[in-house]
Amino acid sequence: MKKVFVTGMGVISAIGNNSEDNLTHLRNGDTGIGKTNYLESNYAQTHLFGEVKMSTSSLKENLKMTQKGLTRTDLLAFTALEEAIKASGLTPNEISSEKTAFISASTIGGMCLTEQLYNDAYSNSDTTEYAESYTGNAHALRIAEVYKLSGVVDVINTACSSSLNAIMMGARLIKSGRANRAIVGGSDALGKFTINGFNALQILSKAPCKPFDEERVGLTLGEGAAYLILESEDVIGEKKRCAEISGFGNSNDAFHPSSISDEAFGVVAAMTKALKSASLKPQDIDYINAHGTATGNNDSSELYGIKKTFENFPPFNSTKSYTGHTLAAAGVIETAFSVLSIQNQELYPSLNFEKPIQPFNQTPIISYQSQQKINFAMTNSFGFAGNCSSLIIGKPQ
Amino acid sequence: MYILSHTCISPQTTYSGSFLDGKVIEYLGNKYYTIEPDYTDVIPRSLMRRMGKATRIGIGAGMPLIKKHENIDGIILGTATGGLRACVIFLDQILQYDEGTLTPTNFIQSTPNAVAGSLALMSNNMGYNNTHTNLGLSFEATLLDAILLLEENEVKELLVGAVEETSEYNYNIDESAGFFKKTEVQSSQLLKSNTEGSVRGEGAAMFVVSNSKENALCEIVDVIQFSFPQKKNIEERTLSFLEKNNTKLDEIDALVLGFNGDSRYDFWYDNLADHFKDTTIFSYKNLIGDFPTANAFAVWLSCIVFEGKNIPEEAYYRKSVKEIKTILIYNHYNNKQHSFVLLRLP
Repeated sequence: MKKVFVTGMGVISAIGNNSEDNLTHLRNGDTGIGKTNYLESNYAQTHLFGEVKMSTSSLKENLKMTQKGLTRTDLLAFTALEEAIKASGLTPNEISSEKTAFISASTIGGMCLTEQLYNDAYSNSDTTEYAESYTGNAHALRIAEVYKLSGVVDVINTACSSSLNAIMMGARLIKSGRANRAIVGGSDALGKFTINGFNALQILSKAPCKPFDEERVGLTLGEGAAYLILESEDVIGEKKRCAEISGFGNSNDAFHPSSISDEAFGVVAAMTKALKSASLKPQDIDYINAHGTATGNNDSSELYGIKKTFENFPPFNSTKSYTGHTLAAAGVIETAFSVLSIQNQELYPSLNFEKPIQPFNQTPIISYQSQQKINFAMTNSFGFAGNCSSLIIGKPQ
Repeated sequence: MYILSHTCISPQTTYSGSFLDGKVIEYLGNKYYTIEPDYTDVIPRSLMRRMGKATRIGIGAGMPLIKKHENIDGIILGTATGGLRACVIFLDQILQYDEGTLTPTNFIQSTPNAVAGSLALMSNNMGYNNTHTNLGLSFEATLLDAILLLEENEVKELLVGAVEETSEYNYNIDESAGFFKKTEVQSSQLLKSNTEGSVRGEGAAMFVVSNSKENALCEIVDVIQFSFPQKKNIEERTLSFLEKNNTKLDEIDALVLGFNGDSRYDFWYDNLADHFKDTTIFSYKNLIGDFPTANAFAVWLSCIVFEGKNIPEEAYYRKSVKEIKTILIYNHYNNKQHSFVLLRLP
């Protein structure tokens, strides 16, 4: 099996339009959750969100894109992708090689255009501009066309764990030798569809989310995109290796359509499989970027699962306290943050934490910590329909 | 990767098997809906009531296989949109009640991974679980995922498949994008219609795949996919795909081609067929309509051919006397997403 390294990444989230800005906010403990400027929803008046600090039209102008039918999800994806490609120095030939895979993820796709979709669905629209923009794969199809991709193109939707599964799929294609490079990630914009969905489930918080706090009241929705460039040891040459993809696990909790079992069966199975695939012991993990949505159900089940898998809790945080829950983009944005922790050997504070959840009595990382020894970091993502995934990245040796 | 078992719910009577007695259902117009079986033994009534069609046909096709093969290690499905009807119902509520207090049922059902998740839940399967949603290549990615997983030697048997439902909403959206015919045509005449657009179908096809050839019906040798190819790419890639799999052109005994009667794009299939002079050609979109994961039906049809079952005349596009031991499936969705699947007898 080939070794797989991250050689570049691009991130756009509520805490910055590129990796550097995201890093600054993480180091300063500076959240991106707040009042929205662009979101069209009644909830914009009552709730706070992790909105990307650019309008849809300025995202488009920045990219110098003129195509019709582009949605915010598409534009977030293109923005993060452009940065990732630049960071890794991939050439156009490398990008369009048959041995380069592109694996992405989105849940809302073009459904962020709620009214337009409604009109198109009822044949009431005076334009056909967006007719092919709604599906979860619309952004990937555009990227395949613009970047002339000729390798495997895939889009995964396992709800909130989508992009972690996209990273896995890309890494597995490289490990098997079917690809020697993979561009992996995901994109989701804020939209009425998901906001109302989570509100209907009564897990949408008005105030900024409080991951791992005893008095947490629900999640804050966010938006964003991130892509990682994965390269096989065979083609990487002298390039900078930001991190190695060490292991991964995927499991289904098989308990409930929209919540995790108290015994965290799927969570434990995903983390255990990830450790096994990385040939690591629990004590080898120096940091966990937890799923930590700040819903009553997730955080206590996740703590239960970590306790069961690790016995002693490694340092952990939830960076959703900065970005909000970015759904299909969450896994890859949070893996990108884990890469930053590994590259800089530092840990970022989890925000809004006051009181530990009982009976676990665990406090996440609450202050910025430099000069840490972080050889291996785990990222967790769990989604509706029981989809649990866990990924381990390592400091390149 | 070997196929051990299969089920199919489609606009033909493929589930009960009377399709194989040559009883093909004729359709007129642009919508071919699934013939659904009696789910009494598969889905509890209390659950049925709340299920959307995608979930219903997905579980209806998948659960019997899970029951038959007790050691399924994971579930991998492909679907372009999953429960799209639930999605638009929820959208309706958002706008109708101006984002007021809504019930979450349709929101939960609308997520495309709900089908694979429901199958895992109903069978208490905690193994690998994934849902691919790259529109016309969702099923192909599912096959690739399964091939990788079996190669990684972590699992022995997997449930793989595809599911798609038609709702009036996605029909309307696709219609505005120019997907469908403007005049009604009989399904028997679809491939000769020589007009723009095709017809919409739906369905679910599921397979149990294994890395062992014991009791196998056939082998899925390999799958390849590409987006936005040029004309010459298809030729080059056909040849390199076959070469990579140590198969010569004249070893292909039959083609299953995705002809859908769209005068704009059926040339891709004619071009490919030109390279295979002495093969049987099967078509299937004249039986089940076109939809993003229709290619799962092509794999199902190939299984039936390998099993030596009686194939309805309507599925023969061209007949050859050659015995069928190796099949190449070629499909594209909306001119943009193309794929090959190579199958052979074990």
